[in-house]
Amino acid sequence: MILVSPMSIPAGFPSPSQDYYEKGIDLNKHLIADTTSTFIVRVSRDSMTGAGISDGDELIVDRSLTPEDGSVVVAVLDGELSIKRLRITARGVVLAAENPAFPDIVVAELSDLSIWGVVTRCLHYV
Amino acid sequence: MTQKGLGHDHRRFALVDANSFYVSCERVFDPALEGVPTVVLSNNGCVVARSNEAKALGIEMGEPWFKLAARAKGWGLIQRLSNYELYGDLSARFMTILGRYSPALEVSSVDESFLLLKGAPEELVVTGRNIRSTVARNTGLPVCVGIGPTKTLAKFANRVAKQNPWMGGVCNLDTMPAAHVETIMSRVPVTGIWVIAGRLGKRLNVMGIHTIKDLRDADPVLIRKRFNVVVQRKVLELRGVPCIELETTRADKKQTIFSRSFSTPVITIKDMHEVLSLYAQSAAVRLARDKQVAKVMTVFAGTSHFNERASSFPSVTVKLSTPTADPVILTKAAVNALDGELIEGVPYARARVMLTGLSPAGAEPTFDEFVTVHERREIGSLMGKVKDKYGSTSIGLGAAGMLKPPDWTMSRKHQSPRYTTGWDELPVVKAS
Repeated sequence: MILVSPMSIPAGFPSPSQDYYEKGIDLNKHLIADTTSTFIVRVSRDSMTGAGISDGDELIVDRSLTPEDGSVVVAVLDGELSIKRLRITARGVVLAAENPAFPDIVVAELSDLSIWGVVTRCLHYV
Repeated sequence: MTQKGLGHDHRRFALVDANSFYVSCERVFDPALEGVPTVVLSNNGCVVARSNEAKALGIEMGEPWFKLAARAKGWGLIQRLSNYELYGDLSARFMTILGRYSPALEVSSVDESFLLLKGAPEELVVTGRNIRSTVARNTGLPVCVGIGPTKTLAKFANRVAKQNPWMGGVCNLDTMPAAHVETIMSRVPVTGIWVIAGRLGKRLNVMGIHTIKDLRDADPVLIRKRFNVVVQRKVLELRGVPCIELETTRADKKQTIFSRSFSTPVITIKDMHEVLSLYAQSAAVRLARDKQVAKVMTVFAGTSHFNERASSFPSVTVKLSTPTADPVILTKAAVNALDGELIEGVPYARARVMLTGLSPAGAEPTFDEFVTVHERREIGSLMGKVKDKYGSTSIGLGAAGMLKPPDWTMSRKHQSPRYTTGWDELPVVKAS
């Protein structure tokens, strides 16, 4: 196999790292399973801090995933995109906040709810 | 006389198109628009897309906003200014998904593609449903799928799917009784599908051809005699005989067009020269990128069709001295073409520079003395590289070398954010 090296080869000493050259890490490849269904959204306010999601963070959302109990989802509430944790419980479907200062929302039927996408990653500023 | 069962190598054409595409793109990120009458306006304020609710209000394509504005509030009508970054990105996602269902794909416009599918009629209905649900889930766009033995019948089937919500957005003519298809055909006006536009429609009406069924049953030889082979092919295709193949390659692109409407009218000849210079240079960059040269240039400028007091629509075609992609020659040609045709003081609303007679660069021998200095220096491809790196207004020749964006470029006010292409304009999700 012939590897193409991006570095010039000086006469004399061969570069010791040359044999290990691979392409750099591509975040798109590792963080995005399907480019047609993945979107980035930005968080406003603090109801999800318990899930490690803060005001101003960017989230990777995959619309093609099926939401399950425990998924962090972008839901359509009153015509707006909102982020909640989906809980499927005995008392029905709950869109839970991850901050005690914010209320949970109980939805009578799963079919009454429109889920926009499932959050896969949070890009948090440290 | 739709072919039943599996004729013609099991091949079927599918036409997939997005419903009210621009409005649907806006709704993906602004769900409050769902069910609300919504129009999308071009940058000169005319309706270029309507939601079904807006269509139901009787709003027509091309209607200027100023004629609707007074009634908009009473109707609850919402307007959005066209957001081509957003529509382009969602279109690319849509077409990528379609490509997973068939290697034979013809992207016919931003919101519409033909594919070739193989399989039994019922299987293809399932495939159509899968396409529809995958596009809806991944992108949020609602689409309809029409399937038939020819492109024209696929287009017809798509229309049937769109107008009959009970079909669930998918119509395969092969699974419908022939009598049923015939009944629908006898109800759709001949102008209801593809290529049969207003004037041609009237000429067909004079011959007693009013519906799709009448056209299907017309004598193809007579149609060819009275009209042309294009209309004859429609007749044959409606009978299930494939005459129009998929155009899956764009390699034989025969023209390149730069056409824009202005956000504010261009009133002086000097400003119009600036516009034409910029378009000619954009066209030169595109030619260089595609490694093509052009033989013919057509330059057009026009006032608004709604401006009845001042109208001017000059259009001039010039043959270039030698096939070229040279921005200097193309710029001079574009500016000189309308010499004496433009009227000073008239508010021009749009302009177009079109290059035709394209051929691969270097395909025809050129005499050395006709190769300009600029061509040898490859200014066109250099300008392309600079524009790619520093933006489309970063470099320009002559009148197009402007320091600030001119007044007539697209107004960005009232435009939705570039949700999928601009990091500073991402959709905001509420955590509250």
